[in-house]
Amino acid sequence: MTTHVTSFRMTNRMNCFKRVQPEVERFAMAHGLSPKCTFHLTLCLDELITNIIDYGYADFDEHPIDVTITLENGCVSVRIEDDAEPFNLLEAPPPELEVPLEERTKPIGGMGIHLVKTMMDGIEYTRKNGRNILLLRKCVCDDGALAGAPHE
Amino acid sequence: MEFSSSKHGDKLVVTVAGRMDAITAQEFDTQCRQWLAAGDTNVIADLSGLEYISSAGLRSILSAAKQLKGAQGSLAFCNLSGMVEEVFVVSGFAAMFTMHPTLEDALAG
Repeated sequence: MTTHVTSFRMTNRMNCFKRVQPEVERFAMAHGLSPKCTFHLTLCLDELITNIIDYGYADFDEHPIDVTITLENGCVSVRIEDDAEPFNLLEAPPPELEVPLEERTKPIGGMGIHLVKTMMDGIEYTRKNGRNILLLRKCVCDDGALAGAPHE
Repeated sequence: MEFSSSKHGDKLVVTVAGRMDAITAQEFDTQCRQWLAAGDTNVIADLSGLEYISSAGLRSILSAAKQLKGAQGSLAFCNLSGMVEEVFVVSGFAAMFTMHPTLEDALAG
């Protein structure tokens, strides 16, 4: 089965959504991913990279963030690599979903990560050579995501 | 993000269009201060024109809801669809807030 790959580099100075969305849409359009799958990928990349940009750096320098999206065997993998402070989202505390509005102590921490964990099928985190490497996996067979894919 | 509003009795209907992401989300919170300053505390947000919402948008909504509640007011939603509705469900917001399928329902409720 054919493997499709796209990569792009952005930096912490960029408007995250505006940089991510066209890249995901172009990839999704070219390979027949469903609107739902396209939205999940866009939202998860936006959430994770916005987190990196907002909380990841102790200085004010410009830092690269590298993204690779791969489609293989009905599975989309997303790899995000950055040189920000170590952050393992798998160890982040869950948001206070069940606590009534007026009793919440924290603003709404962890909601973005909760959305990512719900919408993706697999998450792996590695810290290597001073870099965070996050691998997300999403199966696209279950929602008819590849229904419109062109035949190879 | 674009806002337009209209009064229906003691309720203010606010139509929100565009995108609530990390860059734009604060605008909702800012608008809320203006509603409060004008004495409007019971707000129905019509989200039919909202194309995208991330957790930054949810934070802004929560902050606005707290302000309205602090003024004995309320914040309800109507006309959610597609991805916006999914984000409301997954985040628990659909259970936490009053949700109406249509504006007519929201005004009747």
